Amino acid sequence: MSMVNRKKSLTILSVVKNYPVIIIFFGLIILFSILYHQRFLSPANLTATLRQFITLMLFSVGPTFVMLLGSMDQSFIGIWMLGSAFLWLLTPIIGPVALLVFPLFGLVSGLCIGAIHVKLRIPSFILTLSVLIIYWGLTAIISKGNPRNVPGYSFLTDDIIPFVPTPLLYSIPIILLSVFIVKRTKLGTYFYAIGSNEEGARLAGINVEKYKIVAFALSGLFSGIGSIVLFQHLGGTVPVSFSMNNVVRPLIAIILGGTPLSGGRGGPQRTILGALTFSVIYRGLYLSTLGAEVIDLIVGLILIISIVISSKGGELRGVEVA
Amino acid sequence: MSLSNNNEKMSIGRFISETVASPTRIPFVVVIAVILIFQLMNPTFLSYQGLVTLVYSMSYFLIAACGLTFVVMMGSFDFSSISVMKFSALLCVLYIDDFGLWIIPITLLCCAIIGFVSGFLVAKLGVPSFMATLGISIVVDGISLLMSKGFLHLMEHEGFRSISTTFIAGIPSVFHWSIAIWVLCAVLAATTPFGRRTYAIGGNARAAVLSGINLDSQRIQVFMLSGLLAGAAGVFYMSQLGGGSVEIGGQMMIPLFASVVAGGTSLRGGTGGPQNTLLGVIIITWIQSGLRMMGTGMETQMVILGLIAIGMSIATTDRNKFRRVIVK
Repeated sequence: MSMVNRKKSLTILSVVKNYPVIIIFFGLIILFSILYHQRFLSPANLTATLRQFITLMLFSVGPTFVMLLGSMDQSFIGIWMLGSAFLWLLTPIIGPVALLVFPLFGLVSGLCIGAIHVKLRIPSFILTLSVLIIYWGLTAIISKGNPRNVPGYSFLTDDIIPFVPTPLLYSIPIILLSVFIVKRTKLGTYFYAIGSNEEGARLAGINVEKYKIVAFALSGLFSGIGSIVLFQHLGGTVPVSFSMNNVVRPLIAIILGGTPLSGGRGGPQRTILGALTFSVIYRGLYLSTLGAEVIDLIVGLILIISIVISSKGGELRGVEVA
Repeated sequence: MSLSNNNEKMSIGRFISETVASPTRIPFVVVIAVILIFQLMNPTFLSYQGLVTLVYSMSYFLIAACGLTFVVMMGSFDFSSISVMKFSALLCVLYIDDFGLWIIPITLLCCAIIGFVSGFLVAKLGVPSFMATLGISIVVDGISLLMSKGFLHLMEHEGFRSISTTFIAGIPSVFHWSIAIWVLCAVLAATTPFGRRTYAIGGNARAAVLSGINLDSQRIQVFMLSGLLAGAAGVFYMSQLGGGSVEIGGQMMIPLFASVVAGGTSLRGGTGGPQNTLLGVIIITWIQSGLRMMGTGMETQMVILGLIAIGMSIATTDRNKFRRVIVK
């Protein structure tokens, strides 16, 4: 069966059919190359696009696990913010080992969110939104509202290969690991099963509650691992200003890639495509003469359109939408 | 003998759990606790001046919260309330010179149209309400920014200001307006077919459809009502404060949402209602103004309100009743 599938997927048509975002991706590249023919394909812009891609990808790799189940995790920005604040506190005491605070904090946070969501039955989007706001407030309290500089971690972004941002090299194993978990382990299969039909998965003997908590824990863990790179990539300071844009853009990347909000399909391998496409869109808009607020407006429209398209799938008929 | 003793103990325990700790009574208990705590910490809390300040900061909030309550009652969520409120306040201040007081119905119409778009996305295109309204809120925020160009606009129209700043019986009129709207909402939810249909969809959407309720049109109507009320909240906000920047951002959604759940409207839908939301709004605004009187910063307030939001949504959910319902 898998042999047949693999042969089928080799033909270009079926690839395009399975990943319609590829057409949009190449279409946009051609469009922007014609519109700004000198600037768009310049090395500086390509590097900037890659940097944008890394930010989106590392933020969205964790929440993708939760989105597979049809739930929602918005706490990733909070893990990055509060983790940086912890790093600022701990670096003078224990040195560079303090970087481990990111994955540890992410894991603990994910476990707690998962346990509250599953055991106390609170809808995940509102739970993680509240958690996100709490983390933001705690970050501001710890850093006393100043963007504290944390020196000593610039080695994370030192150039190794020219024109290729070093964080990209670090992010490749993270992405591969997440794809491996979803595609090649029992966990991934269970996530898909729970996402496409939770009641069915329960009746088939899967411990749904346990694997939901595992998904949230993985999401927190991967957000934490990603934040190690993102922390230096995004300036090496404790972030104190909160913007809903940071939360929304990775979610757009996930949805554009083809993981619908209802879950059960997609995965991190698709989020790569979504993040690439969105960074191309964003860079294209950035190079134009549009104001920042117009770009925000367009990003909002892209979000709505991509959700509408992704939730239009035939399998969704008869499923109640809250 | 021992058996009857046991029974009595049981019944006392049940009495406590049914009257004090039951999801519907929790708001009352919390109100009393909040008043006691802040009154002890700050004796001026319940003075006339303190109450007027409270009434001012509560009124427009109550109107927006009533709108959100209808959506939550239906088991959905409206993330765009704050953005729509901001948008409506801005429309009023920008175009009052062109239209005079006619700007109010025009603004309300625009906000109802925004609500219609969210409702259409949810009902007809099958988009989960949280993400649909999140997208709408980003678009509306963008439009607001485009219109205001980032400037601070001041409202100088006396007639418009007097809508909420006239004092009647020692209380600013914005309070009378908001109480009137709250009563209307409570009547709408408790006595009309519209309210019963909303409860029915929140309780069990599939059963509601099977019993002949037009799910799509009802959903669109409820989202329109929410947009309309958020717009009305914006109008009162502008006429009360006369300008100033509306606190921008998704984080302002937390107090609004917290006051809806604190009133006892479960996120699961089908319970609570606008009549309960008054208590929730009182709890949250009293906590907020109490914290402000004690001099805590915005961030600390957000942490406390976030914890309250989570705590109240846990407390107001009757978990035994919904053991088999899937929560995403």
